[in-house]
Amino acid sequence: MAFNNQTPTIVVLKEGTDSSQGKGQILNNINACLAIQETLKPTLGPFGSDILIKSGNGRTTISNDGATILKLLDVVHPAAKMLVDISRAQDAEVGDGTTSVTILAGEFLKESKAFVEDGLSPHLIIKGLRKACDLAVNRIREIQVEIEKDDTSNFRNLLERCATTAMSSKLISNNSEFFTKMVVDAVLSLDEDLDESMIGIKKVPGGAMEDSLFVDGVAFKKTFSYAGFEQQPKKFDNPKILSLNVELELKAEKDNAEVRVQQVADFQDIVDAEWKIIFSKLEAISESGANIVLSKLPIGDLATQYFADRNIFCAGRVGAEDLDRVIKAVGGAIQSTVSSLTPEALGTCERFEEVQIGGERYNLFQGCPEAKTCTLVLRGGAEQVIAEVERSLHDAIMIVKRAVKHGSVVAGGGAIEMELSKYLREYSKTIAGKQQLVILAFARALEIIPRQLCENAGLDAIELLNILRSTHARGETWFGIDFQKEAVGNNMDNFIWEPSLVKINALQSATEAATLLLSVDQTIKNQDDQANGGRGQGAF
Amino acid sequence: MAQQQMPDLSNAIVAQDEMGRPFIIVRDQGKKQRQHGLEATKAHILAARAVASIVKTSLGPRGLDKILVGPDGDITITNDGATILAQMDLDNEIAKLLVQLAQSQDDEIGDGTTGVVVLALALLDQAHELLDKGIHPLKIANGFDAACKIAVAQLDADADDILISEEARDSNLLKAARTSLGLKIVSKAHDHFAHMAVDAVLAVADLERKDVDFELIKMETKVGGSIEDLALIRGVLLDKEFSHPQMPKKATDCKIAILTCPFEPPKPKTKHKLDISSVEEFKVLQEYEQTKFREMISLVKDSGANVVACQWGFDDEANHLLLSSGLNAIRWIGGSELELLAIATNGHIVPRFEDLTPEKLGTAGVIRELEFGTTRDRMLVVEDCSNTRAVTCFIRGSNEMIVAEGVRALHDSICVVRNLVRDSRVVYGGGAAELLASLAVSAAADKQKGIDQYAFRAFSSALDQVPMVLAENSGLDPIETLSQLKLKQALEKCAHLGVDCLGKGTNDMKELFVIDPLIGKKQQLLLATQLTRMILKINDVIISGKDEY
Repeated sequence: MAFNNQTPTIVVLKEGTDSSQGKGQILNNINACLAIQETLKPTLGPFGSDILIKSGNGRTTISNDGATILKLLDVVHPAAKMLVDISRAQDAEVGDGTTSVTILAGEFLKESKAFVEDGLSPHLIIKGLRKACDLAVNRIREIQVEIEKDDTSNFRNLLERCATTAMSSKLISNNSEFFTKMVVDAVLSLDEDLDESMIGIKKVPGGAMEDSLFVDGVAFKKTFSYAGFEQQPKKFDNPKILSLNVELELKAEKDNAEVRVQQVADFQDIVDAEWKIIFSKLEAISESGANIVLSKLPIGDLATQYFADRNIFCAGRVGAEDLDRVIKAVGGAIQSTVSSLTPEALGTCERFEEVQIGGERYNLFQGCPEAKTCTLVLRGGAEQVIAEVERSLHDAIMIVKRAVKHGSVVAGGGAIEMELSKYLREYSKTIAGKQQLVILAFARALEIIPRQLCENAGLDAIELLNILRSTHARGETWFGIDFQKEAVGNNMDNFIWEPSLVKINALQSATEAATLLLSVDQTIKNQDDQANGGRGQGAF
Repeated sequence: MAQQQMPDLSNAIVAQDEMGRPFIIVRDQGKKQRQHGLEATKAHILAARAVASIVKTSLGPRGLDKILVGPDGDITITNDGATILAQMDLDNEIAKLLVQLAQSQDDEIGDGTTGVVVLALALLDQAHELLDKGIHPLKIANGFDAACKIAVAQLDADADDILISEEARDSNLLKAARTSLGLKIVSKAHDHFAHMAVDAVLAVADLERKDVDFELIKMETKVGGSIEDLALIRGVLLDKEFSHPQMPKKATDCKIAILTCPFEPPKPKTKHKLDISSVEEFKVLQEYEQTKFREMISLVKDSGANVVACQWGFDDEANHLLLSSGLNAIRWIGGSELELLAIATNGHIVPRFEDLTPEKLGTAGVIRELEFGTTRDRMLVVEDCSNTRAVTCFIRGSNEMIVAEGVRALHDSICVVRNLVRDSRVVYGGGAAELLASLAVSAAADKQKGIDQYAFRAFSSALDQVPMVLAENSGLDPIETLSQLKLKQALEKCAHLGVDCLGKGTNDMKELFVIDPLIGKKQQLLLATQLTRMILKINDVIISGKDEY
């Protein structure tokens, strides 16, 4: 198969290497991408369904997030992997629209396929696609609606609407009112650079989705505790919080040290010396006036009991991320030694409490003065539900974050795609040559988004698209699919808003992926190295 | 999937090259199973039905138990939905979701795990019919969500607030606890269990903060005796005995030294080495050890303690010394038990002998050794502690299965009482709450536009399933009972009419005092609806083949 049944005269490549080339190869790659696109299509939009994926190791994921699905599909075809990569890139760059970017790229390729079959040079197609993409992006910039950031309530509305749109396709769409508030609160509580790692997301199975909590501070699960922990106070008002990176345990100070005991009586001295080390640490801590002691490293039973005696709450082995957030929330700094504790090193918050959430106990720090961080405690009936809620919230958070940075929006629900399609169609008529065809194809490809939205919702795609085309031709810029009425409507007025940046990025990445695939006309794939156990290698 | 020429790959994602040969896009796709579209949704519903019908017959006071044999041959007998599902080793993904559903009801509420599964099954069944009518799965789910909101609002509106306080302990809480116990094998020891649950929760509850810390309620079990022999110990029960057989079996007015250091000569934690080169040195060492023991004992004695509770062990020499100086001692107490002991006796855990002071000792009225039957099993009971906020429930039973079921039953009823302490609003059991919600939803159905009407009606008939299953399990005619009850509820506008499962002769659940916490019922509705939505939303299943390596 490798050499298409011809006897090779000169062996250039190693035996077993798969190489194919030419037009057939391009078509091949396109077919592969279309198969991927086919898989993702049903997940688009508010009536998109989910996909259940059970991976080889038995883990189950239920999701309709494009990037997640593609990652778990375990794609090995090199061209199809390109689609996986752009959806991932979209996820990393904007966080949402991962399904649309894959579908768009697939559709661009599908439209180009006819040209390739007709013998049009791939380079001409590429040029046309690029041109069309630039035009489309410029058009978005022209018509996008700017929102004033100064008007706080308006701005908040904008963010909530963007978040609602992002959530509309997810499992949580029916609770979106609740979650949008949560997401917007979360993002607004961050400081300027909007580092979303400062939004902690905790998952507690059990309860309904509505039982999820927004904590304006930090929450983390009770850490492993030693005897004596239950005797510590579990509630403080305005506590002083000390965060440490110190191990508070009675143990060997140096791992490989060995003590030579000369005389029996020396035993006691050595033991006392060891106790003295730990006690001096504990004393320094309690003298600093801290009420709550947190440490990244273990806090042993001795220290736990010592703190219990002095009405101090302690938690050892706090996760590094959690502790970082604590610091962000309550102020102070992580101390790596206790020898010089200054009052500035201590943070504070309004309330600290250990509470029961579902089957677990959580430490909550609330009402923090710095409050540059927050925590979302998610609940749900099954692990998979919570995992999907988390992914959906992540998308929404990213969208809100983008909207905070760039306050311009376009209407979703297929409206912007229809408008761009109309614009490009008109433009294509003004130019002559083969480019006209390619740009027209680009315009056609854009219609896939509203069409797929209709199909997923069980609406008549052909009819609705015709209505949309005619309304856009009449100059109604923001008309898209209205799922409530099962008809077309002005999505700008219906508040189906998306940050324009998401759309721009989606168009650009989809075009880039499509052009890249079109310019590949040969794949050389090395045979799996059988000696190395084969299968695992070739894919990477 | 239009590719028909390669039947073995018909399930996989396939594309063809110019020669018409299929080529691989996804790794191992031949091994992957795939289900697509409406078929997938329907297959899921069938899978869920298969699982849920197993627990269906366990609902209600006349529900039957299941016997589950584990892989090692160990036997569980229970009618607790969560336990049954957790023990079944399921392979189907959707069935696993149901298991988690029951589990999360268990985590959050602790009771009503069977009910939630039955409800979810009923919803899925109804959804199946609607799917056959050709309604889009997500529209069904949306309708269910809206209907669920109405049902929950109706429950909220018609919930009764019952009085929760220290004084009311015999009435309301007790009855609620009894309702939850009605379903279990232990129902013949109803009163005992209910009393125990209420007493235990009230002992540890912080009524102001409405917080109940379960860590303070401990469950101990011992096979033997009858299930009625259970006891609530206001204090701590340790599965230990005094370290020396000659120590008195009972100590009164105890001052307890709670230690986390062993009765041993102190050892540095750093690696150490002592070279002994002569007999003298060896003698010195022995003497040193002796003096250390004496020193320790005298430190304990000086602090005024008469009982030593130690996390670690002590060797025979120390044991003997303790006996001869009249100290009762307990060794090898686990960390959490030691902690409970400290909480119960208001003592402090002391890390070394030098730190022992009279203030750090815990106090308890009595410590006595319990002996069981002829097996010479002993346990220590620490009672009359200075802090009453730690309790231990001690459960007996004629065999391990009964004991285990007793623990589960007690856990359930403790959860019910806890929920009432948290939120004192209740709805009525015996299917009354479901009927109430069902009537409200079906009344709202006609006001809906479009497809939601169907979803609302379906939701309402799904709710009817619960009283129907109850009636069926109690040997009544389900349809007749349901229609009568519905008529009565509608006519009398009375929210507390339910199925008379035990043949008491009345349908008024308020009179019988069959109550459920409102939060529990609400949770059931919400969880079941959300799970239904999740299952309906899936239309594509990709399952990787088992790894061969």
